[in-house]
Amino acid sequence: MNAAIDNHWYPVAMISGIDAPRETLLLGKKISLGRDGGACWVKDATGTELPTVERFGHLWTSPGQPNRDLFTIPEADSPGRRLVDVGSVKVKCSPLRAVENFLDIAHFPFVHTDILGAEPHTEVDRYDVKIREEVDEVWATKVKFYQPQAAKSAAGGITTEYMYRVPAPTCSVLYKTCPPRPGEWDIITLFVQPLTDEWCEVWPWMALYDDDSTMSEMVSFQQLIFMQDRSILENQLPRKLPLDPGMEVPTQADMTSVAYRRWLKKIGYTYGAQLVAA
Amino acid sequence: MDWIAVGLKEDVPPGFVIPSRIADTELAVWCSPSGTYHAWSDRCPHRGMRLSHGFVRGETLACIYHGWQYNEAGSCHYIPAHPKLTPPDTICVPTYRCIEAGGVIWVSLTETDTPLPALGGRRTVRSLPVSMSAPDLAAHFGAAGFTTIAVVSDHDVLLAVQPCTDGECMIHALAAPDADRSAVSHWLEDLRATLERVPA
Repeated sequence: MNAAIDNHWYPVAMISGIDAPRETLLLGKKISLGRDGGACWVKDATGTELPTVERFGHLWTSPGQPNRDLFTIPEADSPGRRLVDVGSVKVKCSPLRAVENFLDIAHFPFVHTDILGAEPHTEVDRYDVKIREEVDEVWATKVKFYQPQAAKSAAGGITTEYMYRVPAPTCSVLYKTCPPRPGEWDIITLFVQPLTDEWCEVWPWMALYDDDSTMSEMVSFQQLIFMQDRSILENQLPRKLPLDPGMEVPTQADMTSVAYRRWLKKIGYTYGAQLVAA
Repeated sequence: MDWIAVGLKEDVPPGFVIPSRIADTELAVWCSPSGTYHAWSDRCPHRGMRLSHGFVRGETLACIYHGWQYNEAGSCHYIPAHPKLTPPDTICVPTYRCIEAGGVIWVSLTETDTPLPALGGRRTVRSLPVSMSAPDLAAHFGAAGFTTIAVVSDHDVLLAVQPCTDGECMIHALAAPDADRSAVSHWLEDLRATLERVPA
């Protein structure tokens, strides 16, 4: 047992996808989950029930004793938003690599070419990054980037503004300019289930203002983006995320990643991390 | 270590990059538009992405993740997120000696004075993976080493052997200039079938 790792909430299923009981992995250990009538349950390998929370369309559990409630996203409750369960993608990489990639904008022109970015619009301007001690979360604000097709709902290229939030070690919430409603934020999240320290199941979820696209169009858009990310994530060496400086070289555009790695080290979150330069 | 064949020229034309390896050392092997071959460590120092997934632009190899461009010396000379920045000299990719000769791309992981293997005027035919270690393959033919193994055969075949893993190697085959390539190819497949039946 390692409290710094076990005492967090982890996503383990999309609630709408739970029918028959099934097994999965959490932090390298077998768990089972299912639903009795209305309520979902999760058990560890010994049959002991684990705590659960049903939120953001997903079932969350913890192998430890979380000392705080699962984070909330109050903005997602505002009326008119469409809540999108994107599904899941299994990726052979550290759960931390998956989160770090989600926090990165500089790869858009090269990995999501002509969708989330395009040459020659590659420059990343300075933005603000902070570890908000009072809530123990990493935040990046005033992130701006030119995007040819920022969302399914975008009619053409726009400069998009982003805010990134890391409320838990394997989760991130992105607040992003909403093309049909300037002044509002679209919400896109990445909930990562650590199957093992080098294998994860990624559950993206969205709360969008988009009155025109069908649900399957919005899901397909996000799945396409994540499949492009997966081709990167499964080809990074090492698979684990190096937390010590020296093994990888950040620049100013990587300030969010630098803060994320520093925060993980500070809170002692080492699952999926590489601590000693190989 | 000696020169090791890591690929054939015809499989890596100008503007292309492929993954290759010499035992545990993973390589990105690429050919610049002007025809110069390079073998680098297959890892971008920025975020660890495999450079063999990258792209050749001008006389540089760029990483597919963030487009960082590395010049022919392996030094990063352009970071697209910061177009006005001159990257520090410390951002560089480990490079290895790499020479194309006789249609074969040769790599030495260490500085070496050893001359390139003599090919006796043979021409390249094809590459073929075999489930057998390179030293076992050499032993099978009673050869002293595996860099090149001349095989007594109808086609005057020469095998340049690349060690991959403990139980895998890649054979890069050459044959007499007038040999029927298709016949040599079938001969190689028969050879592989024989080798893979040999008990370990």
